[in-house]
Amino acid sequence: MNVILSRRQAFKAMIGLGGTVTSALLPAAAHAAADSRGNSEEHPAHPIAPPDAVAMLFDSTVCTGCKACMPACNEANGLPTDTLLSGGIWDMPTGLNAKTKNIIELYQDPQSDNFAFVKKQCMHCLDPACVTGCPFGSLVKRDLGAVTWNSSLCIGCRYCEVACPFEVPQFQWENWNPKIVKCEFCYDQRLKEDMQPACTSVCPTGAVIFGKRTDLLAQAKERIAATPEKYFENRVYGEYEAGGTQVLYLSSVSFQKLGLPKLGTTSIGHYATKVTSVLYKWLAGPALVAGVFGFFIRRNWERHETERREHEKKTGFPDQL
Amino acid sequence: MKTTAPSADSRGATLINHWQCGVPVTHGPVLTPFLLLLTGLAGIGLGLAALRFFSPLGPFSAMNDVYAWGIWKTFNVMTLTALGSGPLALGIAAWVFNRQKLHVVMRTALVSGFLFYATGLIALGFDVGRPWNFYSALMPWRWNSESAMLEISICMPLYCAVFLSFEILPLILERIYYTGNERSRAFLSRIGPNIRKAYPFVIIGAYVIPLMHQSSLGGLLLLAGTKINPLWQSPVMPLLYLVAAVFCGLGFTIFLLMIVCLRYARYLDAAVLTELANLLSGVCFVFLAIRIADLIWRQQLRAAFALDKMSLLFLFESAMILAPAIALRFRRVRETPRALLNMSVLACLGGMLYRFIPTSIAYVPLRSTAYFPSTPELIMAAGYIALGSVAFVLAVNYFAVLPGEAGSWDHTFRPFGWPGKASQSSIAGPIPTAVVQERAI
Repeated sequence: MNVILSRRQAFKAMIGLGGTVTSALLPAAAHAAADSRGNSEEHPAHPIAPPDAVAMLFDSTVCTGCKACMPACNEANGLPTDTLLSGGIWDMPTGLNAKTKNIIELYQDPQSDNFAFVKKQCMHCLDPACVTGCPFGSLVKRDLGAVTWNSSLCIGCRYCEVACPFEVPQFQWENWNPKIVKCEFCYDQRLKEDMQPACTSVCPTGAVIFGKRTDLLAQAKERIAATPEKYFENRVYGEYEAGGTQVLYLSSVSFQKLGLPKLGTTSIGHYATKVTSVLYKWLAGPALVAGVFGFFIRRNWERHETERREHEKKTGFPDQL
Repeated sequence: MKTTAPSADSRGATLINHWQCGVPVTHGPVLTPFLLLLTGLAGIGLGLAALRFFSPLGPFSAMNDVYAWGIWKTFNVMTLTALGSGPLALGIAAWVFNRQKLHVVMRTALVSGFLFYATGLIALGFDVGRPWNFYSALMPWRWNSESAMLEISICMPLYCAVFLSFEILPLILERIYYTGNERSRAFLSRIGPNIRKAYPFVIIGAYVIPLMHQSSLGGLLLLAGTKINPLWQSPVMPLLYLVAAVFCGLGFTIFLLMIVCLRYARYLDAAVLTELANLLSGVCFVFLAIRIADLIWRQQLRAAFALDKMSLLFLFESAMILAPAIALRFRRVRETPRALLNMSVLACLGGMLYRFIPTSIAYVPLRSTAYFPSTPELIMAAGYIALGSVAFVLAVNYFAVLPGEAGSWDHTFRPFGWPGKASQSSIAGPIPTAVVQERAI
């Protein structure tokens, strides 16, 4: 093959190749730089809770289903009562919804008399999928680990609802100016002022308690060690689920029966971004493709233009593009 | 395919049969009863959309907190923009891989792709709950760069409004030339060279950006994790969504060219269509190879052939893609218009199924709630599609979109006004006779 390049073409090819190589090497360099700083990845597969991370521990074997936490939550968050089912008399939600950030649900075994209560609210994951997906950073993980929503950034795309494995964020379908309703760990109302969240502060039996995540995890394990026959699988739900959550559960029945999903131990944000975070690092992937495409398009364009000019000279009329 | 004596192209590079350049449809009525019906449907759809803007989403859709994405997102955007990927697939084949035959059908692909994207974006605009906050797209410091949703919400409007529009610009500007207005012609000759200068650079963006957002549509679903059946939920979903977009774009362009040429009684061009069919078959095979390799890698092959509901769905979808992939390998099939049409439709449906299923049927969240689109939701979705169809018919009738023989151009046709001036200058202008003579050689 005999390729003749003009000086100008040779320069262009060199710039193109240089750009291609640079954009291929940049992600690696960025990766190395990140490693040297110590924070290796934005979404590690198994995130480690920061030392100040707070948590809730809910022990299903202690909960009596008094629901004291529900009005406390409504009061702290200024939520209206959901009276649809009770005919307008009292708060009676059927699940987490646009008026309910916290709910006590009952599991009843169809065969035996076994039953268990479960408290549902945001799990405040260590690496929340909703925060990873939120396009303009309306949902953020704040200090102490609370996941909160900011109305002025939300476009209402509802990706958080699709992403959340616990199906926590709720959208106000009946509101013209809809908000995302989810438990925010009472961050603005109480957590910032060194108070514990409303639900844990009113729990009369200590079924749900508030504390540092490390302390609560240790306490949960102590409870299991003390009465191992009492707890299902002798494990704490939320220790590793979806990379770990800041709400921990103990239960005598299977967690799936309580309506908690069976999840892997890998953070969902890690699963979703492990490839794209490399490809899109400093837009290197798109730049690489653009470089390669640009090279071929320029070459084919020149051929096309030469033909066009000949054609137009011959006929005297503009050619279609 | 009906072949008349092919005329050799004087430009040498391509042997052109019947499709030589874009030629507007100049005969027959534009406003047919069917078009009026579509216009009515589009009107009702847009009317409902306008109402929706003054109302919350609740009364207009059956979406709920478990199925937070209805058909506006999953069908109008995630599925139909695959059909609108013709400009991506054909453009890369024509400009990057130098398949010169395809230049002549680029305009059809571009207009249909633009309309799919535009109507999809309209659907998206009325689907999001707080569209007034979208101005954040202009503030990069607010971007959450790891979100696939961000990539889509910025790239899709950008692609449609800048890159696709720029690619279509010559098509619209060219009309000005044929109005015969001298000042317009002067304007055109001034900006024409600038467009040509920018064109090769802009089309780089026009091919890189859809590569990004078409794969991000699959990337969106990665975060849904275990909610999506493992036959579909896979780390290669972004790649598969992209490849599906490419073959859907090819298949839909074949389909569209054939039915529109049938409607307006134009000759088909065997050379161009077989080239497209070849590419379609190849990309379908690539898709299936990735799909099977992925299932083997994730050890889901047994589940794929378990013959339960999801497995049957998977087999149905794959058969729809496999059939055209195999059939179009045979020259006899490629060159039989009826078979080619059927196979391209099958490929489109298969690709659409692949892109629709993980967002709806295989999307099985924990809480048992059903979702089926409500009537206003369906009417609005149909209205957006009708709007695109009406716009396409009008484009075909008033602009040089459809490929045809250059000699068939009716130079007395003046679609946009100035009849007095136009008729004078058209007599004075040198174009008509010369073009006809040149092409007739």
